[in-house]
Amino acid sequence: MNKTKKLVLISLFISQALVLSIIESWVSIPIPVPGVKLGLANIITIIVIIFFSFKEALIVVIIRTMLASIFGGGGLIVFLFSCAGGVLSTIVMAGLYKVKYNIFSIVGISVAGAAAHNLGQILVAAFLMKDVTVITLLPLILTFGSLMGILVGIVSTFLEDKLKKARIFDV
Amino acid sequence: MSKDVFMFKKGDIILFGIILAIIVTSSIGVYYYRFDKGNFQKVAIIKQGDVVIEKIFIDDLNELTEIKLFENNDVIIHAENGRIRFYKSNCPDQVCVDSGWISKKGEMAVCLPYKVIIKIEGVDNEVDIITH
Repeated sequence: MNKTKKLVLISLFISQALVLSIIESWVSIPIPVPGVKLGLANIITIIVIIFFSFKEALIVVIIRTMLASIFGGGGLIVFLFSCAGGVLSTIVMAGLYKVKYNIFSIVGISVAGAAAHNLGQILVAAFLMKDVTVITLLPLILTFGSLMGILVGIVSTFLEDKLKKARIFDV
Repeated sequence: MSKDVFMFKKGDIILFGIILAIIVTSSIGVYYYRFDKGNFQKVAIIKQGDVVIEKIFIDDLNELTEIKLFENNDVIIHAENGRIRFYKSNCPDQVCVDSGWISKKGEMAVCLPYKVIIKIEGVDNEVDIITH
């Protein structure tokens, strides 16, 4: 794949991830925990890990969270918060994807990524707010996050299949 | 699409097991923290970073109490009998206002951009008598 094509594809993925994270910011979830999101943008992170590599996925995540906190509002602290979660989950997912013998399915990888995302955010929130009791939100967030991780994993599995058939990554 | 697309693999079971174990153990811990049905009084604590701005015994309130934070009243908190919420905030994401009223021990609402947190804790009644 030449440089220009890669640049175009990565840019497209960033814009798709951005649209997903803006759409999910409109959806408020009826559980008594502040700021829980669906995590749809993770679909794009997984796809980039599959078709490119860890480095590209990291670029997509960082630029997406940066743009999302500019467009969706939130400022520096919210950016740091979502970036920390995103980066941690990308590290975990890319790591598991690279594990040999193919022992993890995309759904499994996605769930692990969601859990890493939640754990990272809780820790960053506890650190930023200087309040350890934030950790008591963990069970609810982790339960919800894992369920969403399964959904994201299923969607990513379908999307991977479609993209492979579309052959846009071939040349 | 190949047949085994949704087949779970060996590693998945380990992943799910680990996550389930974290959920279960942390749930047990939080359950004991929150639903400890002792003789306590609910106190709402408003903090910014590690500075406690205000402590309110929300069960003692008879009318709506308004707490304005920061010089420009960027954050306004309302408390009334037994419950408390972020009423208004100038933060861009409004997650804190969307959290609504909180009223139970262990519940919390957070405004990340202003680093303000409201949480409800239980205080033993004995301690309470002394503070009164």
